[in-house]
Amino acid sequence: MDSPAIAIRDLTRRFGTFTAVDNVTLNVAAGQFFGFLGPNGAGKSTTIKMMTGLLAPTSGHIELLGLDFATHPLEIKRQIGVVPEGLALFGRLTASEYLRFVGRMYGLDRNTTNSRTEELLDFMNLADEPKKLVTDFSHGMQKKLALAAAVIHGPRILFLDEPFEGVDAIAAGTLKAMLQRMTERGATIFLTSHVLEIVERLCSHVAIIHQGRLVANGSLDELRAGVAASLSGPQPEEKLTLEELFLRIVSGAGSETPEEAVQELSWLA
Amino acid sequence: MAGVAPRNSASRWGFLSPLARRQYAALAWIQTRIFLNGLRTRRGSVELGARILTFFVFSAIAIGPSIGLGIGAYFGASHGLRLAPAVLLWVLFLAWQFFAALAPALAGQNPELSHLLRYPVSFGTWLVLFLVYGLAAPSTLIGLLWATAIGVGISVARPDLFVWTALTLALFVFFNLLLSRTILAWIERWLAQRRTREIVTAIFLFLALGVQALNPAFHQSGHGQFYGIGRQKPLHLPSRVWNVQRVFPPGLAADSIFQAMQHHPLKGAEDMGWLGVYVLGAGGLLVLRLRSESRGENLSEAPRRSTKARAKVRSPALLDFSGPIAAVIEKDLRYLLRSGPMLYNLAAPLVMVVVFGGAMRGSKVSSIRLEYALPIGMVWAFLGLTRLICNNLGAEGDGIQFFFLSPTPMRTVILGKNFFHLVLFLLEATLISALVIFRFGVPGPSIVAATLAWLLFAVPANFAAGNLLSINMPYRVNMARIRRETGAVGNGLLSMLTQFGILAVGAAVLAPCGLLGHNWWATPILLAFAVVALFVYLRVLGNVDRMVQSRMESLTLEIMKTS
Repeated sequence: MDSPAIAIRDLTRRFGTFTAVDNVTLNVAAGQFFGFLGPNGAGKSTTIKMMTGLLAPTSGHIELLGLDFATHPLEIKRQIGVVPEGLALFGRLTASEYLRFVGRMYGLDRNTTNSRTEELLDFMNLADEPKKLVTDFSHGMQKKLALAAAVIHGPRILFLDEPFEGVDAIAAGTLKAMLQRMTERGATIFLTSHVLEIVERLCSHVAIIHQGRLVANGSLDELRAGVAASLSGPQPEEKLTLEELFLRIVSGAGSETPEEAVQELSWLA
Repeated sequence: MAGVAPRNSASRWGFLSPLARRQYAALAWIQTRIFLNGLRTRRGSVELGARILTFFVFSAIAIGPSIGLGIGAYFGASHGLRLAPAVLLWVLFLAWQFFAALAPALAGQNPELSHLLRYPVSFGTWLVLFLVYGLAAPSTLIGLLWATAIGVGISVARPDLFVWTALTLALFVFFNLLLSRTILAWIERWLAQRRTREIVTAIFLFLALGVQALNPAFHQSGHGQFYGIGRQKPLHLPSRVWNVQRVFPPGLAADSIFQAMQHHPLKGAEDMGWLGVYVLGAGGLLVLRLRSESRGENLSEAPRRSTKARAKVRSPALLDFSGPIAAVIEKDLRYLLRSGPMLYNLAAPLVMVVVFGGAMRGSKVSSIRLEYALPIGMVWAFLGLTRLICNNLGAEGDGIQFFFLSPTPMRTVILGKNFFHLVLFLLEATLISALVIFRFGVPGPSIVAATLAWLLFAVPANFAAGNLLSINMPYRVNMARIRRETGAVGNGLLSMLTQFGILAVGAAVLAPCGLLGHNWWATPILLAFAVVALFVYLRVLGNVDRMVQSRMESLTLEIMKTS
């Protein structure tokens, strides 16, 4: 059996007395489109930050593409692409300047960098305004640029933290097609998103983190089977959607349901 | 809509309305919370310590001259001298405005209030907040102290003038406060966009060359005296100058006080009225500027969206070689060229050299030790770069994360930045050297050699200290605006101490050698220091990745934070 593209073991991160990520163990196979879900503050971004070198873990072990992150950080960084929560953009550059800068920082030669920059700007529909600074881009345009920068060097693993937030429907469709093509060619994609319809459509496997702990992990069918097994009453006739699965798993782990929450804020019109 | 303030009543939206008062209270509360929360961290405590220390430094700077101004005012008022209040108030005015325009750090910089736009804050409230924040600027506090000293001096000599003097000085102080805020706000506006930036640069160069051209003319007829004062016809030029200065605010304020001394209250009131007109003028210009800001003015340089067919315009490479170091240098160069405040910081020392150089030439100072003008100029050249060198990651904003994600070691990134700053320093040093040589002549070879040896020490020492400060005490820099930057005081103080230490080494070597008449001895001694500094720099550079790794979270937090 091939070694997983992503293997994390007992990953823990504490901020003072607060444990943001608690003993998470997870394997993601090469070529998988993997969705990493959780409510706000569950520990998704903290986990991604640790897996991409933006945050040091308190304890635990991270292995990407068979390499230990603690001992081979630069080799790993050459082979991964990341769209982090903060997008990591340089606001006072144009889109073209930014992509050429990124290409050079990843060690691409000038010709490759220039040709890929043009291709990516065309693909992302960002070539219309060559003199516009990144800081003046809309949030959606910035997202697309961050994604372009994350793939310019042809990464084998792509980490995406909320990649579709603020992106219009047309662009989102194009991006999804691009990401699916990447997984078909063997790349691994690790995605977090609050838009569960997108995750359901794209991801073959899903993990759910809640209050820092991994509460579910597997294919959608495996998750459905797990939820069905936990139900004491009659089984649902139709297949549960990912949103229903998510709500049942998370509320089962101690969260308030939307029906309970709406009882509050009675003063709101 | 329970709890929402009604919109239609204009009186409810004034700067003293109940809503405005609640907003002031909320802002005061939030500032207090931010301050107290900041103390929970080590960085916050360091920042507080730095602020206290800075307060004492500025107090020390301000107290000496204030005693002199107070004594001068007392002497002038006791003897009924017309010249005394005019000279004192001109000194106060020039010092206040000069520092406000040329040293934003001393001026305190303008507060960032754009985050208030989302709330129902009236323009009056906005303006009041802008001025209140400005009160905390060191230049304002120094100006207030000096004005108080002048007022006390006059009032002790002539107690009957206390009320009149207090009124006049209050108006004059208010004018200075408004003018300094106005100048900074407009400079910021002009530097924000390329076209206005180019116009301002052209005007600056024109004025600088004009000053250079005018100075010899003054000194030629001055027989070595300063601007004609003390020449054979001492009253000729001063009388003309006197008549001109009377129509400007310091002259009007001085004349108002003098007329009161002479028991001519109507004439004094007329002067005060004209001073009031200046206050309205400065206030009007400030209102004009802030009105645009409060409406959410966009100073972006983004071109309008083109309706033409998509053109594949690629920005030309500024540096035509690949590799991470070149990429970092090119990025930083683009940032510099697009940032008015950064260019402003670089230009300020040059302006100082032009102004002070012009004033020093031909004066008695020249007979003391003008051979040291070159090393002093080099020290000055570092000042324009101090903020860049000692906070070399501060301008990255969200991009700082990219450096942590990329496979390029941080050591390479920092090396690229150091190299870029070295080129900038050489450029600035060359310009200042040219100005120094133009104004004071070529220094002796021993001084040139000692200066070069000191530079070999100062450059690596500056970069070593700068890299340590950049990693351990970073603060976010707003590239588009001359703004108050949270967390900058601690870094600024340590940067200045570093510069002082590096300068002290040079002075401690060069001064005794000069006194002994052996300037040449300084060169090998300074070269020995240079070797040590280079060793330290390389050690720091070698440890950059380890230091960044351990400080990654706080670096991200400080540099990416939005306010």
